[in-house]
Order: sequence, then structure tokens, then C-alpha cells
Amino acid sequence: MRLVAGMLLMLAGALVQVTWASQLEIAGAFPNVVLIVVIALTWTQGVRAGLLWGCAGGILLDLNAPGPLGLHAVALLCGAYVTGFWARNLDRESPLHPAAAVAVSTVLYSLVLIGADRVLGLPIPPFATAMQLTVTATLYNAALMPIALITVRRATSGLHWEPAAP
Amino acid sequence: MHGSARSRRSTGRFLTLAASMLALAVISQQSWAAGARGTAKGLLAPLEAQMMSIASGVERTTAIFGDIATLRAENQRLSAENQDLRRRLAELDAAAYDNKELRQALDFQRTFGHRTAVAEVVGRGPDAFSRTLEIDRGSDDGVRPGMIVVSGAGLVGRVREAGPHGAIVQTLADPQSRANVFLSGSGLQGTIIGGPSVLQLQVEHRLGSVASKGEWAITSGVGGGYPRGLVVGDVVSVTHSDAAITDAAFVDWVNDPATLSLVIVVLDFSPS
Repeated sequence: MRLVAGMLLMLAGALVQVTWASQLEIAGAFPNVVLIVVIALTWTQGVRAGLLWGCAGGILLDLNAPGPLGLHAVALLCGAYVTGFWARNLDRESPLHPAAAVAVSTVLYSLVLIGADRVLGLPIPPFATAMQLTVTATLYNAALMPIALITVRRATSGLHWEPAAP
Repeated sequence: MHGSARSRRSTGRFLTLAASMLALAVISQQSWAAGARGTAKGLLAPLEAQMMSIASGVERTTAIFGDIATLRAENQRLSAENQDLRRRLAELDAAAYDNKELRQALDFQRTFGHRTAVAEVVGRGPDAFSRTLEIDRGSDDGVRPGMIVVSGAGLVGRVREAGPHGAIVQTLADPQSRANVFLSGSGLQGTIIGGPSVLQLQVEHRLGSVASKGEWAITSGVGGGYPRGLVVGDVVSVTHSDAAITDAAFVDWVNDPATLSLVIVVLDFSPS
């Protein structure tokens, strides 16, 4: 049941990301719904859940992106891993920490995507453009994180998912 | 002790999953895996098409609510009757918009002189680094990587990957896109460079000619990447410098990837 609900959540997030998210563009960047959901799940459910759903969400994003499968999954895994440690060692109730965690995860996500493209010999955007897009996306995702966290907390408590141990 | 063991377990899981995903990336990039990758990438296309149609429905509904609010403000007495009329009008507008796009596609096909296939946009790239579109036509419809994609308004981009029932199109807005163009007024040649908000244009210097605002950028055919004569956009600003070998300009692209719903794949143009 938990697996099905999680898969449906990630599928919904990925579909929203590849169909609607680009309509919310500001200064060339748009929110990454899947990244926000994965970080919110890591924050509330722990690093194990975050890694699992990061992997699933990343593969779903890869199905819509040019290039090989697995790169978005690696990028999301890095965000979930760092957030897992952050959540374990800091106050879970503060709204600033998850926003900062998603900001750091967005930077990591961007670095991993660009780095992986470079290693695999795929084209990468110019530095100035990549920088501008990363900074804007970081602010955008951080601003949306508190809403996402409340939504994920309500959804997981409704599904009787146990929160992660502090 | 417990915390340290838990950290080690988390790190172990992370490294295992990351290594698995990197292995998947390497394997899926092999030429022999291209078919399977293309098939996998087409799996979500039907769901994406449904989501896109829901988005259109939401937009139409929003338009209707906007109309109703205006009518109420204007005339309370006729609101009920107007509400119905406005709803019908909005539905007709939506149908007319679809028909207009289809007519543009058909006109384009007749006048362009190339063999083409009309495709529906079913998805968009998940991140801002690669501005791509997913279309519902693939190798089974004759679509191949490298083919150019246009709309009734002008150049959209190029097919980057094709699966049996879908393909991924790299649009001009992608930071890696390049297209050689000439300007309609001055005749100056230049190179369009993709960008997230507006397209950048590097224009050659020629004695007695300066690029100016309002000129149309049209593909020149130089380099063989795109056929000559496709509209890219209009110049919105030019920065001229006598010291530089090129002028910098910005071009407003004729297509908006966020609203494109139908595109045309040119099936018989081979980029050199």
C-alpha cells in the first residue's frame, strides 16, 4: 500500500513537472516539483525513504529528458542523502532548515546534472546561463518548500506513514 | 554508536543506488540499447497527453470564470444568460484556436515543399538546462534524430532522440542550440544562440550596415543545419560596438515553448 501510494505520488510529481511546471517560469527557471517532494519526504520520513523515492522520481524524470537514463536519479539521490544528514542533526520543526536543505539540494542537483553531461560528453550550457538558472531555481524551490512540506506531512499522516526517528 | 552505524548504512545505500543509476546511465547510452531506451521514454507519453489536455481544460475553465466576473460587474440582471453565452463562446474560441493551428500546419505543409508530419506536444523537459519538448510521433512515423521541427510561426528546433511512438525535440531556447540566420532588413548574417528567456544573436560587422530593432531573423541555410527561409524571431535590441568583431542583439522568438501544442516535423530535410 505504502509502495503504491509512494509511486503514485512520484508519478504525479513527475507528470506535473513535465507538463505544467514550465508554465511557472520566472527568469528562465521553473520549480522542480519532484526534487521538492523528494526533499520533503526525506525531511519527514528519513534518508532511507528519501533515497528510494529519489531514485524512482529521478527515473521518471529521465524518461522525459534527452540523454541516458539515471542521471536525474543520481542528482536527486545526492539531494536526499545530504538532506537526510541535515534532518537528523537539526531541528525538524524550523521552517528555515527544510527551505535551506532544498536550496542546497537544488545546487547539488544542478552540479550533478551538468557534471554528468560533461563526463558523458553531452552538451552543457554556458557557465553564465547555468549559474543564472541554478540561482533562480534555488530561490524558487526554497520559496515553495514550506508549502510542499505541509502538504507532504498531511499526506503521509493521512496514509499513516510513520515519521522518521529524530 | 547507533548514529554512526545508521550513517554508515545510509552512506552504503546511497553509494549502492548512485552506482546502480550511473551503471544504468552508461548502459542506456550504448547504441545497442537505443531501442529499449526509446521505448521506455515513450511509456509516459499517453499520461502526459492526458495531463496536457487537463491543463487546457483548466485554462478554458479559468477563462470562463473571468468572463462571468466581468459580466456580473457589467450587468447583474443578464448574468445568467451571459454566463451561458460566454461559456459557449469560450468553447468556440478554444475550438477555433485548435482549428487555426491545424490550418496553419496544413498551409505550411502545402507551401513549404517538404514532406512533413504534424505532431502533438505531450511533454516538456524536466529541468531548465535542456529546453526540450516531447512529441507523440516517433520512428514508426518516420521521425529520426536530426530532423528539424517547425510550427506555423517558424523554427522550433531539432529532433534529438526518437523512440517508436515519441521523440524529444531540442528547442531553440535550449542553451546548446545554434542556428545561422540573416536579418530581413540589413541582410547581415549572424548566429542565434539559445537562451532561457530570449535568444541571443551575434551579428557580423559589415561596412555601412548595422542591425536594427524590428528586423526579422530568418534561417540562412549556411552550414546546412537548417533550410533557408524559416522565421526565427524579431530583433528586440542591438548593442553596437566599433571595437568588437560582432554586434550583440536579442531576438524575440516567434514560438513560445510553454504554449506550443502542435509542431511539424520536416521528414525529408537532412542536415549536412
